[in-house]
Amino acid sequence: MLRLDMHLSRGVVVLALGLATGLGFSRLAEAQVADPATVDFFEAKIRPVLVQHCYECHGPEETNGGLRLDSRPGWEQGGDSGPALVAGKPDESLLLAALRYDDPELQMPPDGKLSAAIIADFERWVAAGAADPRDANPAPRKPVWDLAAARQHWSYQLPKRPDLPPVVDQTWPTGPIDRFVLSRLEGSQLRPAAEAEREVLIRRLTFDLTGLPPTAEELAAFVRDESPDAYERLVERLLASPHFGERWGRHWLDVARYAESLTLRGFILGDAWRYRDYVVEAFNQDRSFDRIVREHIAGDLLPADDLHERQRQMIATTFLMLGNTNLEEQDKAQLQMDVVDEQLEVLGRAFLAQTIGCARCHDHKFDPIPTRDYYALAGILKNVQALEHANVSKWLEMPLPLPAAEEERLQAHEQAVANLEAKIKAQKARLTAQKQPTPTGPAVVAVDQLPGIVVDDTQAKKVGEWQLSQFTKSFVGDGYAHDQNQDKGRKTITFLPELPAAGKYEVRLAYTPGTNRATNVPVTVFSADGEFTVNVNQQLPPPLDGHFVTLGQYRFELNGQGFVIVGNDATDGHVIADAVQFIPVEQLAQAAKPAAEKPAKTYANAKTADDASERAAEELKQLEATMKQLVAKGPKRPTVISVREHGKLTETNVHIRGSVHNLGPVVPRGFLQVAQYGPAPELPADQSGRIELADWLAAPQNPLTARVFVNRAWHWLFGAGLVRTPDNFGTTGESPSHPELLDYLAVEFMEHDWSIKWLVRELVLSRSYRQSTAASAATNSADPDNRLFSRAERRRLEAECLRDAILACSGQLRREMGGPTIRPGTSSDYGYQTTDTRRSVYVPVLRNSIPELFEAFDFADPSVVTGSRNTSTVAPQALYIMNHPFVREQARETARGLLARSCADERERVEQAFELILGRPPRAAEQQLCQDFLAAAAAEGNAQNREELWTQLVHALFGSVDFRYVE
Amino acid sequence: MTRTVRTPDETSSKINEIPDMAPSSEHEASLPGISRRAMLRNSACGFGYLALAGLTASARGANPAAAPVPHFPPRAKRAIFLFMQGGPSHVDSFDYKPILDQEDGKMMPFDDARILANTGMRASSHRIMKPLWPFAQHGDCGRWVSELFPQMAQHVDDLCFVHSLHTEGVAHGPATLFLHCGSTNFIRPSMGSWIVYGLGTENENLPGFVSLGPSAGNGGPRNYGNAFLPSIYQGTAVGKAGEPASTFRNVTNGTLDVATQRRQLDFLQALNREQVKARAEDSELEAVINSYELAWRMQMNAPDVLDVSRESAETQQAYGLGDKATDDFGRKCLMARRLVESGVRYVQVTYGDSSANPAWDQHSNLPKHADHARAVDRPVAALLADLKQRGLLEDTLVWWGGEFGRTPYAQSNGTGRDHNPSGFTMWLAGGGVKPGFAYGATDEFGHTAVENKVHMHDLHATMLHLLGLDHLRLTYRYAGRDFRLTDVHGRVIHDLLV
Repeated sequence: MLRLDMHLSRGVVVLALGLATGLGFSRLAEAQVADPATVDFFEAKIRPVLVQHCYECHGPEETNGGLRLDSRPGWEQGGDSGPALVAGKPDESLLLAALRYDDPELQMPPDGKLSAAIIADFERWVAAGAADPRDANPAPRKPVWDLAAARQHWSYQLPKRPDLPPVVDQTWPTGPIDRFVLSRLEGSQLRPAAEAEREVLIRRLTFDLTGLPPTAEELAAFVRDESPDAYERLVERLLASPHFGERWGRHWLDVARYAESLTLRGFILGDAWRYRDYVVEAFNQDRSFDRIVREHIAGDLLPADDLHERQRQMIATTFLMLGNTNLEEQDKAQLQMDVVDEQLEVLGRAFLAQTIGCARCHDHKFDPIPTRDYYALAGILKNVQALEHANVSKWLEMPLPLPAAEEERLQAHEQAVANLEAKIKAQKARLTAQKQPTPTGPAVVAVDQLPGIVVDDTQAKKVGEWQLSQFTKSFVGDGYAHDQNQDKGRKTITFLPELPAAGKYEVRLAYTPGTNRATNVPVTVFSADGEFTVNVNQQLPPPLDGHFVTLGQYRFELNGQGFVIVGNDATDGHVIADAVQFIPVEQLAQAAKPAAEKPAKTYANAKTADDASERAAEELKQLEATMKQLVAKGPKRPTVISVREHGKLTETNVHIRGSVHNLGPVVPRGFLQVAQYGPAPELPADQSGRIELADWLAAPQNPLTARVFVNRAWHWLFGAGLVRTPDNFGTTGESPSHPELLDYLAVEFMEHDWSIKWLVRELVLSRSYRQSTAASAATNSADPDNRLFSRAERRRLEAECLRDAILACSGQLRREMGGPTIRPGTSSDYGYQTTDTRRSVYVPVLRNSIPELFEAFDFADPSVVTGSRNTSTVAPQALYIMNHPFVREQARETARGLLARSCADERERVEQAFELILGRPPRAAEQQLCQDFLAAAAAEGNAQNREELWTQLVHALFGSVDFRYVE
Repeated sequence: MTRTVRTPDETSSKINEIPDMAPSSEHEASLPGISRRAMLRNSACGFGYLALAGLTASARGANPAAAPVPHFPPRAKRAIFLFMQGGPSHVDSFDYKPILDQEDGKMMPFDDARILANTGMRASSHRIMKPLWPFAQHGDCGRWVSELFPQMAQHVDDLCFVHSLHTEGVAHGPATLFLHCGSTNFIRPSMGSWIVYGLGTENENLPGFVSLGPSAGNGGPRNYGNAFLPSIYQGTAVGKAGEPASTFRNVTNGTLDVATQRRQLDFLQALNREQVKARAEDSELEAVINSYELAWRMQMNAPDVLDVSRESAETQQAYGLGDKATDDFGRKCLMARRLVESGVRYVQVTYGDSSANPAWDQHSNLPKHADHARAVDRPVAALLADLKQRGLLEDTLVWWGGEFGRTPYAQSNGTGRDHNPSGFTMWLAGGGVKPGFAYGATDEFGHTAVENKVHMHDLHATMLHLLGLDHLRLTYRYAGRDFRLTDVHGRVIHDLLV
């Protein structure tokens, strides 16, 4: 405000002087003010406007777009888009372009265009050299980026194998991990917690490694097993279980923002499950993590030893395309960049724990990631085709490589389809060639004789004058409409059906052909798939029953906009609109029956079709029916969601402030400089550079990748990572609590061939992992957040474990692995419900229909990378457990199972219930509570229904903290 | 209000308190002493707010989620958003452009937003289409309203019109997300989540943000989602678009009567206390026990809040209950009033459906607008009258509008209008906005905002301001940076404020 007052008052001073000192001076002042080359002109005409309209956002308070307009150096240096003014050249000055409001992307001031007079003043001022006395306030220069300084941050330094720290208590550690942990504890005068009890250990380990509870038998066997290697054998058994991949694969799916649909319109990603199965298999087969990384980024480009490997590698790249993208974005340049941005954000956070996305619009504010690096990476992914663009763009479904025999079978089938298609085409051509003006069906067809929904021209909404006619004696309903071959571009006729159900329909237009008709009638179908225009040649006879031509098959929604517009824009003859028919695709076969079979109202002078053309039409119908069968019964080519190299590389510019329409300098492809050790790789001229990107990510010289993964594993097993921000190793993330331990694990992980099972084994065999959750009061107060791992963390069962454990108790859990699980024929995910009782990892992850249990119990948001799930304790969870039918039904199943067991008495049955559900026998007080509950209910006359009583008891056990938590 | 910044040396337990900063936090962050994770985990919360506020003062200072203190005195304590999904036509309702009648049928060049986005082509030729409903002046302020909304027209002296809105996204998906979350494509928290994050709620037995009948389409749950904010800020959906209004999920038990279920719950709680007793004190487990009690209280109370049968026959009739055309939306509007009256901070009522071309999306057959207008006009007018009569309008912000407007010309020369994000009208009422006021203008045809333009970011900023929140300071640290509802944009339009 100060500045504003000062500048305004200066303007006032000039004016006041002019008034006070008489005519001569005033005239001089006026002359100067009128001369745009003078400072006075600037002071009178330009500065007040800048103060009033520009300083707020381009001054000392805010510097939007990096531009300051409160000094000459400010506009000389300019903002992100370059200099704001070119003195003497108004037409090259961005500021003037903005003021003129010519470019929709660049309009200033944002709340409305200034008057023409003001803009003219600016033009004159710039043309005359843009005199501006404001030399003060030079715009701050951007600091120079210093790579060496940037690498000071711990995570950008290469991990080094640390020396093992000395510890006082030599007996506690079983290996290096424990020494690192104990050393920190001893440094704080703390002791680790005691080892957890056996029944606690097996429950913890079984959930951690397989996501399932131990069975009562497994539990009993382990508790009884007194051999010294009982625990080690348990670990090996669980690591070898196929459920290991399901549990750990699901962890990775959180990171990969895995989902099987897009929020937009609930589109189903029908092949996404292949990626899920790939992940489960990779963890089960203990594929090297560096290999997994390479396959995720460039699997389709890597050499493969065999077909399975080739398939697998291609499927891995689905990872790149799982983003929850808004494919409806109409600006496709923007959409392409949005996809690249999402890919960078996800691979950055998943593999590197870096927030690369911040650098899309400006150099990263906190981390050493310049915008240049962002566009160097973007240059790689921008040269990879991710989508086919349309009104609503589409991801790529690429053929999955197949075994030779299967490929042959498919090719034979595809050849058969192609042959038949050719025959159909030939038959159609023959029909057309007969140039039969006479229809093959009845000349006049009543609307109610036709299948599907028919909108006659009389019901259609007309714009402009449409002549109703029955001149050509062959039509649907009450005659047809034509545009009189007049007022081209001014007339439309809209057919708006009332469709009885959502679904796919074949849309057909009826017209009466003739030589004076237009050959280029634009017919636009609006459907849930968007807007498509078909050009119809109305000089040719309509191929279907002599009335209709098909416009294609489209998806319609019940309340959606489904309609057909026939226009006459730029048409070269009469435009005819007789009727539009919408036939549900299921009814097409029926509709294909010759119309002649149906009773039809005919006009006396209507011509009948001649035999030859009727036969030809009949043959065509036969062929089409055969085709339908062939397609329905034949093998389907399996596809995979992937990306495509298109070989023609384009250069990528910096997008100033992230805008696709404001391009800065070209940036060569490359990686993050701060995490790039050794010489920059040569990127191929004929490929995007994904292989090199993958190599850089998975290189031992990448300071981040191994660290990030071992930290994730630690987080999944200990409830919190050594770095507690597992997706952010930048300067805004946390520092490691045990940096040497993190380095030790990273180095060893790489040396053990990036083996995930090796890593998990090391961690769970440590005494650090095997601690009890109980610690001394002193420990609790000295290490309240358990940053030193002075005890085990009590953890709640995640949504999937909760569901799987309930199903395991009720005996309803189905354990078959893999494969697609979305019901066939599902076209959108709205309202999708799963009743299947397979493991939770196979419950389709549909972004508009996340199962309620998952939603209530903090399932990972499948649109973003989630290395650490939220953990909330809120009433909706309690409400779910108390009232959702799923819990109650499974409690009933469980109760039935318990009641079917032969037990000496109800006390024994309660014991069995506790062992089944909580993995331990009841304590005395708990036994008493159960007996009291059963007795009280019995006293109220509920005893007759034991099943109901036991259902309530089991239901309560499902809700108890010992079920919902792992110690 | 304070923000806590963690020092690089995590174990030294240093906390720097920076005064006068917006609530901000690190998604995965923890704080020494009492961790944010532990805080969220350990706080037994109905829907998660008051329990946090009930923590010790120091803990509250350290925890952004527990600091529901506005940045400055609010003019509105709560808000109701009446979402007209699909984009109602402003030139047929509230933005009177007489020239459209005069030039009806003429071909004229316009910068059509869709054609511009698809092809970059400007000045494409389109046929002017006059408004289908005659306009007349209403109220003391003499505002022009068409016959589409005869009942809302009775309330123009309470309404504050913004005629110069413009937004981003030409298609429903992007524009709907932009309206709700301030971004066309990226995963961002919705406005209601931001508001509850900033202000908390007044009733722990109810969620702070309720979305009545949300659409599954065009962003679906993202439009009431918390994105990277803690999940307690998520909007609670009640029912879905196109279906009759229902109630909160899982607040009734389909099998057990109240006495039996209470006995079962007592048994469960006794087991829980027994199990917790066996361990060292753990506030998280206590929180679980408390969550069951809170759940029970909600189960006993929450359904009543949505039970409109408790309203008088006159009130029900005023909202149009019982009349087929207005019953559904009237019921939802009445629920909205009952919710805000009970302390819910942000209520959205959607008039729409889950199709790709929802409700007001009249690409053809513009007269269908009349059906939609009939369904919403009376309930909205009744809501305004009801809020006013109860003294609630003073501190309740009501917001009406769609994700964009419609073109003043016919689409593809047909019988409807295409989307128009370049200029359209919304109105506000109540809590701190000028009544009987109109701001900004589109060009003479009603196509593009030209005077006192208000971008959707600006409207967001202004509404946050009315609720006592500074859009520049309502930030959340996620993935390495501070996010805002208004991204790096937005201006408070002070001219709209009383």
